[in-house]
Amino acid sequence: MSAEPTFEEAQRELEQIVERLERGEAELDEAVQLWERGEELYKLCAGKLDAAQGKIEELARRVESARP
Amino acid sequence: MSKVEASQYGDRKVYSVGSFNRGVAEWLQRLPTVWVEGEVTELRRNPRWQSVFFTLKDPTDGACLGVTMARGRFDGLRVDLADGERVHVFGRPELFEARGDFRMRALSIERFGLGDHLAALERLKKKLGAEGVFDRSRALPRFPRRIGIVTGNDAAAKQDILSTITARFPAARIVVAETYVQGPFAATAMIEALRGIAAAPEVDVIVLSRGGGSFEDLLPFSDERLLRAIAACSVPVVSAVGHEQDTPLCDLAADARASTPTAAARLVVPDATELLEQLARSRAGLGRGARTLVDRRRERLTHAHERLRRAPALAVERKRARLDQAAGRLRALSPRATLERGYAIVRAQEEIVRSADAVSTGEQIVVEVADGRFGARVE
Repeated sequence: MSAEPTFEEAQRELEQIVERLERGEAELDEAVQLWERGEELYKLCAGKLDAAQGKIEELARRVESARP
Repeated sequence: MSKVEASQYGDRKVYSVGSFNRGVAEWLQRLPTVWVEGEVTELRRNPRWQSVFFTLKDPTDGACLGVTMARGRFDGLRVDLADGERVHVFGRPELFEARGDFRMRALSIERFGLGDHLAALERLKKKLGAEGVFDRSRALPRFPRRIGIVTGNDAAAKQDILSTITARFPAARIVVAETYVQGPFAATAMIEALRGIAAAPEVDVIVLSRGGGSFEDLLPFSDERLLRAIAACSVPVVSAVGHEQDTPLCDLAADARASTPTAAARLVVPDATELLEQLARSRAGLGRGARTLVDRRRERLTHAHERLRRAPALAVERKRARLDQAAGRLRALSPRATLERGYAIVRAQEEIVRSADAVSTGEQIVVEVADGRFGARVE
């Protein structure tokens, strides 16, 4: 298993999966697998975004409280 | 007056000192009377003396000429001359025979008038302009490490510029060189102060400052030597001399000119309050930018996720639709529909009977209709 993908890599893979599913190209069994993979990627991306936003808000609070 | 006579020593003709001086003096007296311009220095007038003495000095190169004038004539002129004053002297060259001193005998003295000053300034402006002395306009440093100020010890003008600089930029470091800014020694004193402060460590800009004054008061700021010193200064110079309407030539020689001390302060230091506000705006923008970035990513992700949620159902639905379509077509192709319309399939020995010749009388056959099959015999 390769290292965890970056947010951008995961997002790109997720969007490719969605497009494949929407075009109806995949085999039924494969479609189910793709969907599972897509959900996994979504969770990964959402987690990364939450972490980034948390950091931004924390920084903003720190800046605000340090204001003279 | 005794005659100029020489003694004869063999073939050599020799003059006495007195004769020599007398001869030169007589020759000099034949020269015409002329006007000479210069600055009065070392003026000596004593009521017990027959004559008044002073030295006329060339302000540009320092050349000197002794001048004498009959005391009565001098007093009659009623010019209250002071050292350093610029004058035109009308007179003729003369030799003081007893001492062999060359000097000028003055017949009249005129104080340099406003018109003379203006004409002289105009000439100087043209001359220095042609030489490129006024071509400097180096950029002033945005954050000078130290600011040099050459100013008079006039408290108001100095305080004005110091307080304005400090108010705009409290962290400013200032070096002040106090000097004469008026009178005969002002130009040389200012040049010395300028050089001294330019050589001081970390001085990145110099303000030459003086409060308002009369035309004559500001003349030292148009002195040729000072103008050349400004042009040759190793750090940028800001001229802040007099008021808005004054145009001393140092304004042209300097890298920048300010009409008031406040304006000079604006030129040499940034406004700290404004800088802090700018910084705060940038910081706010930074936070906003980061949030916007995350928001955009989240929007895109949510959109992809919604599509993902719908996708499997969509895929299954599509497959089901295709299946139904296939089933429909399959059904359409089956013979059952034909049987329901009343047709029958006849089989003999498991073979479909397509011709009357294919069966013989008495043969057992099977008939299939829509809802089932039954046996029969050919007759």
